[in-house]
Amino acid sequence: MTTYAQPEILVDIEWLEKHLDDPSIRVIESNEDVLLYDTGHIRNAVHIDWRSDLQDDLIRDYISPEKFAALCSRNGITPETTCVFYGDKSNWWAAYALWAFRLFGHTKVKLVNGGRDRWKASGKTFTKDKPHFPATNYPIPSKRYDNDIRAFYLDTLAHSKAAKPLIDVRSPGEFKGDVTHMPEYPQEGVLRGGHVPGANSVPWKTAVNEDGTFKSVEELKAIYEQGCGLKADQDTIVYCRIGERSSHTWFVLTYLLGHKNVKNYDGSWTEWGNMVRSPIERSS
Amino acid sequence: MSYPVKLQAIVDLFQSLPDVAKRENLVLYSEATKSLEPKSGETFDLEDIRKDEECTDTVGVYLKVNEQDEVLFRMTLGPEVQTLTRAMSAILCRGLQGSTPQAVLDLESDFIPKIVGAELVRQRSQTTYYVLTRMKSACKVYLNRKRLKV
Repeated sequence: MTTYAQPEILVDIEWLEKHLDDPSIRVIESNEDVLLYDTGHIRNAVHIDWRSDLQDDLIRDYISPEKFAALCSRNGITPETTCVFYGDKSNWWAAYALWAFRLFGHTKVKLVNGGRDRWKASGKTFTKDKPHFPATNYPIPSKRYDNDIRAFYLDTLAHSKAAKPLIDVRSPGEFKGDVTHMPEYPQEGVLRGGHVPGANSVPWKTAVNEDGTFKSVEELKAIYEQGCGLKADQDTIVYCRIGERSSHTWFVLTYLLGHKNVKNYDGSWTEWGNMVRSPIERSS
Repeated sequence: MSYPVKLQAIVDLFQSLPDVAKRENLVLYSEATKSLEPKSGETFDLEDIRKDEECTDTVGVYLKVNEQDEVLFRMTLGPEVQTLTRAMSAILCRGLQGSTPQAVLDLESDFIPKIVGAELVRQRSQTTYYVLTRMKSACKVYLNRKRLKV
């Protein structure tokens, strides 16, 4: 059995349990449920919220390098700290936070396979005690690596026109244009249903087992390479509605399959579906 | 805008709290949802248990209206229902107890951000409004049935 391209990036809950007091790591919980961390979390985990901590709502963008440095500093993180992410919803937001950390050049990152649900299912405990770590002086990143791992609208439009690989990770109904929201979620302000012309539909969930852990490398290759024709050295763009589910697939392609040039289009369908004169396709 | 007396008291309390205490109180309310469930032997004028498209799990709303036209709500929430929605369910069951069905129907939803706070009202947290919609829906059905009987 072959291993993931970067197996060290993925840790299991047993590894995590052994490293909870390791000063070289910082465990970070990132969730969709905004109060879930407050109801109880893994001991010594800090909370980083995908919106209030990582986004600048006034310009629909990520925080500045200065604010990222401040966020890391107040959570006791240095550039040498290995940030270990976990969260709810099979790690959607944990993968998103990990991707955002990579945007700022923080490369020492890991993801807990199966996330919060896996920890809970194994009977391990949560605590409400919030840890306090001595503040650090995280240097302000010299730049954000948007060009490396992030796609914008115009990048995605050019990618679509050039018939380069585009992966739509939303549910089949959203891809077809039958619905404008994902199952079990409210409408989030999208005017049109459909997908980016030329995109392949590979829902994020195809990458995980029932318990939220990732499928084997052979299974992932069968899905993305044999099934979808993706190649490790091609430029690939992934998208969903607001960029969180596609962060999950970005993680799979980048770290588990070792694809070199995968970008997450975080504007995703809430931008593309609403943009004036933006072409879309629908399928039956 | 004034709200039903019990709800107003909850709104006043939350508005007086700093953000951290707001979160703590919301978590406390969310942990009280077991006590919202129907008690053994209780009967209701209306039971509406369903899993809607826009909510992550099944939500059951049970409505009882006494002879004084006062409402009592009970609720059941599936395990996947988010913490904020659980908290709002507990707040509404407590805050609307003793109101009339018409007062519930007339209630505007602008109290929700006053309780939750701007930081937590966001994309992906709209289901805090969903619970109120379900309670109003139950009251509407109840009042329509009552009118048909007259």
